[in-house]
Amino acid sequence: MDSDEEDFVFYGTPIEREDDITTSRKKKSVAEASGQLRTLAPWKQEVRDEEGRRRFHGAFSGGFSAGYYNTVGSKEGWTPQSFVSSRKNRSEVKQQDILNFLDEDEKAELEGQSLGTSSQFDTFGITAADHARKHAEKEQQKRPSAIPGPVPDELVLPAADSIGVKLLLKMGWRRGRSIKDSHANVAYDARREARKAFLAFSSIDAKSLPADSEPVHDKPENYIEQPASNDVQSSQNTPVYVLYPKQDLHGLGFDPFKHAPEFRERKRSRVSENRGLANKSSLLTNNNLFGFKSGKLAPGFGIGALEEFDAEDEDVYASGYDFEETYVEDIDEPTRSIMDSKEKSVQKEPGALSGFKLASNSDYQLERFDPPVVPKEFVPHHNFPGPPETSYKLGDPGPPEVPPPQDNNLKVLIDGVATLVARCGKLFEDLSREKNQSNPLFSFLVGGNGHDYYARKLWEEQQKRGDQTKLHLDGKLSPRTQKMTSESRGKILGERPLERSSKDSSTSIASADIHLQYNLSDTFTDPSLYSEMPVVAKPFMNDPAKQERFEQFLKEKYQGGLRSTESGRASHMSEAARARERLDFETAAEAIKKGKWSKEISTSLTGGMEFTSGGFVQAKDTRAEDAIPKEVHVKRTEYQWRPSPILCKRFDLIDPYMGKPPPAPRMKSKMDTLIFTSDSVKATKEEETIIVKRDSYHMPQPEAGGVSKDVADNESGGEVEVENVERPVDLYKAIFSDDSDDEEDTSIPNEVSNPEKKVDAANTTLNRLIAGDFLESLGKELGLEVPPELPSSTNKSRTSAPLKETANANSRLYSTYPVEDKPSSTLDVPHSRESAQDGTYEKREPANGNLMGARSNSKHAETYLGNQFDNINSEKGPLEDRKFKTPSRRHRSLSSSSSSEDERSRKRRRHRHRHSDSDSDSLSDHRDRYHSRSKGRKKGSSREKSSSSRKHSKHHKRRSRESPSRYDYSPEKERTETKRDKHQRRD
Amino acid sequence: MSVSDLPKKESNILKGHEGAVLAARFNSDGNYCLSCGKDRTIRLWNPHRGIHIKTYKSHGREVRDVHVTSDNSKLCSGGGDRQIFYWDVASGRVIRKFRGHDGGVNAVKFNEYSSVVVSAGYDQSLRAWDCRSQSTEPIQVIDSFTDSVMSVCLTKTEIIGGSVDGTVRTFDIRIGRELSDDLGQPVNCISMSNDGNCILASCLDSTIRLLDRSSAELLQEYKGHTCKSYKLDCCLTNTDAHVIGGSEDGSIFFWDLVDASVVSSFQAHSAVVTSVSYHPKDNCMISSSVDSTIRVWKT
Repeated sequence: MDSDEEDFVFYGTPIEREDDITTSRKKKSVAEASGQLRTLAPWKQEVRDEEGRRRFHGAFSGGFSAGYYNTVGSKEGWTPQSFVSSRKNRSEVKQQDILNFLDEDEKAELEGQSLGTSSQFDTFGITAADHARKHAEKEQQKRPSAIPGPVPDELVLPAADSIGVKLLLKMGWRRGRSIKDSHANVAYDARREARKAFLAFSSIDAKSLPADSEPVHDKPENYIEQPASNDVQSSQNTPVYVLYPKQDLHGLGFDPFKHAPEFRERKRSRVSENRGLANKSSLLTNNNLFGFKSGKLAPGFGIGALEEFDAEDEDVYASGYDFEETYVEDIDEPTRSIMDSKEKSVQKEPGALSGFKLASNSDYQLERFDPPVVPKEFVPHHNFPGPPETSYKLGDPGPPEVPPPQDNNLKVLIDGVATLVARCGKLFEDLSREKNQSNPLFSFLVGGNGHDYYARKLWEEQQKRGDQTKLHLDGKLSPRTQKMTSESRGKILGERPLERSSKDSSTSIASADIHLQYNLSDTFTDPSLYSEMPVVAKPFMNDPAKQERFEQFLKEKYQGGLRSTESGRASHMSEAARARERLDFETAAEAIKKGKWSKEISTSLTGGMEFTSGGFVQAKDTRAEDAIPKEVHVKRTEYQWRPSPILCKRFDLIDPYMGKPPPAPRMKSKMDTLIFTSDSVKATKEEETIIVKRDSYHMPQPEAGGVSKDVADNESGGEVEVENVERPVDLYKAIFSDDSDDEEDTSIPNEVSNPEKKVDAANTTLNRLIAGDFLESLGKELGLEVPPELPSSTNKSRTSAPLKETANANSRLYSTYPVEDKPSSTLDVPHSRESAQDGTYEKREPANGNLMGARSNSKHAETYLGNQFDNINSEKGPLEDRKFKTPSRRHRSLSSSSSSEDERSRKRRRHRHRHSDSDSDSLSDHRDRYHSRSKGRKKGSSREKSSSSRKHSKHHKRRSRESPSRYDYSPEKERTETKRDKHQRRD
Repeated sequence: MSVSDLPKKESNILKGHEGAVLAARFNSDGNYCLSCGKDRTIRLWNPHRGIHIKTYKSHGREVRDVHVTSDNSKLCSGGGDRQIFYWDVASGRVIRKFRGHDGGVNAVKFNEYSSVVVSAGYDQSLRAWDCRSQSTEPIQVIDSFTDSVMSVCLTKTEIIGGSVDGTVRTFDIRIGRELSDDLGQPVNCISMSNDGNCILASCLDSTIRLLDRSSAELLQEYKGHTCKSYKLDCCLTNTDAHVIGGSEDGSIFFWDLVDASVVSSFQAHSAVVTSVSYHPKDNCMISSSVDSTIRVWKT
């Protein structure tokens, strides 16, 4: 502290030391003089003299504080003790004893009458010791103990030997020794000597009377000798304290034979049979030490019952006094002298029963087998099993190669099923077999037509998967997947995984046993793979439409999100054809995926495929350059995050969620984590892909359809991609909750097609669509036929198709920015008048418009303004809002989506005007509007569309299937072309 | 600031720690510095005079990070014992202990008003602790990270955390948003530029990356040093002209902020340079190292 103080001096004023006695004393006296201390409670006051010293009343008259802190009062003040009625306390009078009233001498006299051990005859000093101990105990009780609760001395009583043992000890008997051994042996020896002498003496007389009597005498001797030495053995043992030691695994006190006592005997006999040998030997070797367990452990110093024994716990104190050795010698000495060789062998060989010895040659011959010959090509390297189903069949040659069935459809179906089975495991096969029992198409599962081919195919697939997992393990992964997770790192470091972490990221692996979840995880992104997808060959070159659908399929497959059942343009196909095509795609995609891992697999696959291995060579080359990404691009994702009110308060900020209801308890189901993790993973991968593509690819995108559109969109959007991860929640709700629940949630797309339609009806339809699509895709995943939903009203779905999209986009953006009403006034006002039903709503509109004017100035300001505005709106509640104003809201959503997009890409601001104009112009005609919108979007704002269509592509797909004419080719193509244009321009 | 102004001359060695020094930080005015290390102590120094002022002992394990309030009255520190200690600077007493992290605490920071301590933990979470109330429960737990959170930065309205999962996440309290910027590489340490527009993120692939905060654009990458297995700090000079980073071979690197060229590098310590901290106003820098010294560098 001294050295510290000198450092304190040079900067600022020195800190006063509180324990500086003189100053504080002075201070106190001064303070007292000024009367400050008088205000203190009496027990806090100190009486001091003029120099500030405390007044000392004398050691025997109170010390520093006489009376009650130098007062005559008490803590309660100067009040007299209040009267306590004995009426209530009467019963509490203690039971009185005669001893309470006796004097000491009287007590002593009284004690003389009671019976006790006189100290005169306390031969061993036991009584005295006992007395002293009791006395000490009493003392102990009077004194306060450091350890609360019962005094340890009470718990740990010295083990009292019985008086018999004590007497024996006094007589020279030592523990472990037979009581009679020495005497018996002495007697026996004496007798034996006598007998010899007698024999020698009597040998002169041939077989006279003593010879007759000898055996009679001798036999019992011999007979006795044996048990006597056995007795030595048994007497060495610890007295059996526990008659029936607990040896079963039942709970304490549980008696399995309670109601069936007849089995107890059986059990006991059986157990004793089994145990006979080992028990005996253990008794012999171990238990002859009284109290001490053999082993090197110190007898209970500093080792808790729950602690594990470490190396350092071992034998810390024991070296000083080795109980075991001294004791063992003590015991063995006498025994050895009397034991014959047989007995010794018993002790040495614990396997033999006492009284028996081990046979020197047994007829039991130990059969020896040569170790199996290790094949030369065997690599002593453990392959960790990947998915349980895939690894087990790797070794066998598999079923013979079978020509595919004639029916091409059947072949494709079999291929697809085999792929799925290989991926999802045997469970899938069982399931689909069960489901399709009646379906003749699936007869190959149960051994019908094409079963051989199926078996072969399945084996091939499993082989492939096995190879893949092997490659995984060999570390030939892309650098992306090699990134250490916290789990793997922890494993390397030998750390115990945190609970949460292991829960979170292992879901996709651990859920393999749960079929539904497996499928779900399949549905979402497969990381590392999509990055290579852009360079895939085109398996369906000869059929451009099919190729396009395939690419659409790929996009959906690897970009995550729910898989749609079919692509949008395949609406002319029948349900069965679509399912078959889907399986086809699945196989192709699988094959392409495999093609990345090893080339020969892809070539072996070509039997069922329509592409050549040449395409893969090319793919590989491009991938090689891709392997070194020039730079890492940062992927931005935005989530909703709710700071706690107190945090906002401490940061001196206004809670952005003020007034909002507390967040719904987050779903903790596995489903939830599954969805969330896979989604975020997906987002990253997407970006990755794009980067790779941009670096390496300069030619037009191989995918003509949705993929390239999406890619271009992403590129136009720049690095900043705003993602919303709330969607899975909606999905969850849509599937598992009632329609009525959705009305509470603002992020649920609550849009209506026509103003005259009932809102609720539309909502229901939407939810049914969502749920239906989801279930259908699940069904497809399982290879099951899901009956197509009856198109309730073509007209409705037709009109609602684009609207829903936009509304979805709206809801997405809405939850991205907490801004509900951000329309441009020019857009909104006319329309809201058109179908105005609510005055208050209209009133709010101009305000919004004003707000909008200010918005373009500052990006941040607008967000916060909008944010505030949102707060205002939130009071109105989304529900009434929706009910009143759905149509106008829909258009607002349009504009708001585009405007928020505008925020994100300032460079495109100049297109902004045209865009909104085109929107507002075509409000009356939905179809027109749609076209113009796509046109207006051409220059770069197609992003919102694509994101919405990607996100909710399944609705859109579904809808378009139901209304074939709705979604014609041209706008799509047009967009694609513009995308290409733009892409090239960019490059 | 020209290159010659970079603090490259050793002015003082602060010795006293036993074992590795894990972090060294200037206080807000740069007159003092704090260090913490494997020896479970926090030490207060005057780096300019090279004197050891005070030692704060209470941690049960290594102290990984320490931060002092802007008024120099309170300290917070966190370490391997999973606790955050809230200290009174003058008396050296622990005012409060915040328990709740399920793993070691990698970084701690006060907010602007010194009313909240935000800690980053190995348990993949950021936790905010209230210094004003008696409660020792976290007032906010942010657990959206998927791996150990290594570093935390606070602005007036935001909490920024860098994690081994490769993300730098910005939690904007004002609008209730989480912005997750995925760098793709484990992020060791983040530090904010003095103008508050950029984030410097030291990644485990021996690269320091400069990130634009508003657009999440990767502005620059700084390479040349070694950072593969340790948590190495990086920082910007007080003029934001240069980037400073330690290396695992004991050298310190200076990069030009704009063109990412290594302006200077010199052998500063004999072992891993765990932390660098730049003076808020002067051309002065402190560095701490596993070799148990803290060195003060001046021009």
